[in-house]
Amino acid sequence: MEAIVEVRNIKKTYKKRKSKTYVQAVNDVSFTVNRGEILGLLGPNGAGKTTTIKMICGLLEQDSGTITINGVNNREKRLDALNNISAVLEGNRNLYWRLTVRENLEYFAGNRGRSRKEVAGRIEELLEQFHLKSKENELVNRLSRGMQQKLAIAVAMLADSEVILLDEPTLGIDVETGYEVRELLRDIVKNDQRTIIISSHDMDVIQDLCERTVIISDGKIITDDRIENLMRLFEVRSYLIRLEGSLSEKQQQLLKQKFPHHQYTEDLAQATLDVDLAKSEEIYELFDILKMEETPVDSIDRKTVNFEQIFMKIVKEAKNGALAQSS
Amino acid sequence: MVRWLNLLKANLRKEYIELKRYMPNTIAMVITFFCIFLGMFAGIQLVGDPGSQDVNTQYVIVNYIFWFLAMMVMNSIGWEITNEAMRGTLEQLCMTPMGLWKVMITRLISTTAIYFFIIVGLLYVSMAVTGQWLNIDVIAILPILLLTLISMFGAGFMIAGISIILKQVQAFLQILQFILAGLTFVPLTVAPALAFLPFVKGVDLVRNIMIQGVTLSEITMGDFFILGFNAVFYFVIGLGFFLVCERIAMRKGLLAHY
Ligand SMILES: Nc1ncnc2c1ncn2[C@@H]1O[C@H](COP(=O)(O)OP(=O)(O)O)[C@@H](O)[C@H]1O
Ligand SMILES: [Mg+2]
Repeated sequence: MEAIVEVRNIKKTYKKRKSKTYVQAVNDVSFTVNRGEILGLLGPNGAGKTTTIKMICGLLEQDSGTITINGVNNREKRLDALNNISAVLEGNRNLYWRLTVRENLEYFAGNRGRSRKEVAGRIEELLEQFHLKSKENELVNRLSRGMQQKLAIAVAMLADSEVILLDEPTLGIDVETGYEVRELLRDIVKNDQRTIIISSHDMDVIQDLCERTVIISDGKIITDDRIENLMRLFEVRSYLIRLEGSLSEKQQQLLKQKFPHHQYTEDLAQATLDVDLAKSEEIYELFDILKMEETPVDSIDRKTVNFEQIFMKIVKEAKNGALAQSS
Repeated sequence: MVRWLNLLKANLRKEYIELKRYMPNTIAMVITFFCIFLGMFAGIQLVGDPGSQDVNTQYVIVNYIFWFLAMMVMNSIGWEITNEAMRGTLEQLCMTPMGLWKVMITRLISTTAIYFFIIVGLLYVSMAVTGQWLNIDVIAILPILLLTLISMFGAGFMIAGISIILKQVQAFLQILQFILAGLTFVPLTVAPALAFLPFVKGVDLVRNIMIQGVTLSEITMGDFFILGFNAVFYFVIGLGFFLVCERIAMRKGLLAHY
């Protein structure tokens, strides 16, 4: 597949106004997005998602590294690169609140040099698709947050750019509209052949919409993989073991050494052991510990994990890794 | 070229819609201005030298009309940028492949075109109220006004640039109102060097036409040279300054003031 967005080694440091300290918001991030792909940019608050998105949109200049959109360097030929980009930025700040729904669509098309006549048909389509037809003459400041968000996405669609960036598209809107927005985005990906980059701290949204995700934490990429691969990887590595009887002191001691993050609970009838293995071969070491006292094993299950747990684990492991490296 | 035209149409339409939709605000602003004028007029009637009252009144009319124009062209672009930076739409404007400066120039043209009608109305009302009918020599005024407007646009770009990079620009814009007033009210005979400021020379020439009845043929090539020079100089400098400010804003992440 052909890459349409290429991000190479970008870095960005902000200077805090008051304290005169520096924040490294993005630290050597590289990834590519293929044509027609929907990529999730996932990370906790403050990870550097918005900063990355703004650099791709050419709103923020990276300190170093390059970004190309359809082969066009977005610093050297910024305006050319922008031809292929539209974005809905974080929050409800993408529209003119004193204009109506239709006027917003027309105004933003005009700002890309297109006449009202030229876009009239497309606007009708979008109003239908986004269920905004009945609100077309309503002032934006009278719309709910969710409807504003739908309109902002419609405005981005109207630009007819190949790449659309959405920064936290479901944040702050009601649950129902949140689902509607997801549905719309899924439609767009399926029918419009656009390339979409979605940032979110909500793994549910990403899992729902994206095939691939770049997970970012503290300005660094910690993983870049297809979501199904991440799920499979962690499914294999998480085990829930039920034991008849309990573990001895010595066994528990060894477990703590070998698998510091395990969970062990016991009650009258049985004990359960919840372990994540860094490598699947480690299962043999676990068996060795159980064999020491011939502890009878009742069942071994691969735990079903959801994407949220995976996300937490990946971020935690990355942090531990960073600590281990720095010490 | 077609894209330019569509851009201009879109911005003209936006400015017009917002003005119309917020008509009470617009009317209140025009009335405020008119009251300031009435205050000045009353001042002349009360304390001025009766011998020069008529000429003084005529001066005040021309000056305050130009002050209003300068405010609408230069100050309002500053407020607009500040508001859009706070509301977040500035970032969307920066993402048009046409370039932010083109959007800004169509905004300048649009506000000027729209306010032009209000200004002409205000002029006639002021003349009617005071009974001082000025010499409205359109053929002489128009070329001077156009050149003056170009230099005003240049200055407008500088103010727009400052508004992008400074967060607390409101205080500056407030002070700017008075600087603009000062520049329109100061007669060039007092300080000839001021002719090289953005619009002082233009106002001076228009005063000569409207009050002393100077005709186009009486205006020297030298005068036009200064006007033309100012127009090119301020426009180029203003635009350059604006582009530098835009770049700084992109480097420091200042396009959204929140
Ligand atoms: N304009 C700014 N000035 C200073 N620091 C900023 C600015 N924008 C973001 N930051 C800091 O950069 C880091 C990354 O922020 P951001 O990209 O907004 O993260 P995310 O979108 O993932 O929540 C945070 O620590 C944030 O405080
Ligand atoms: Mg963010």
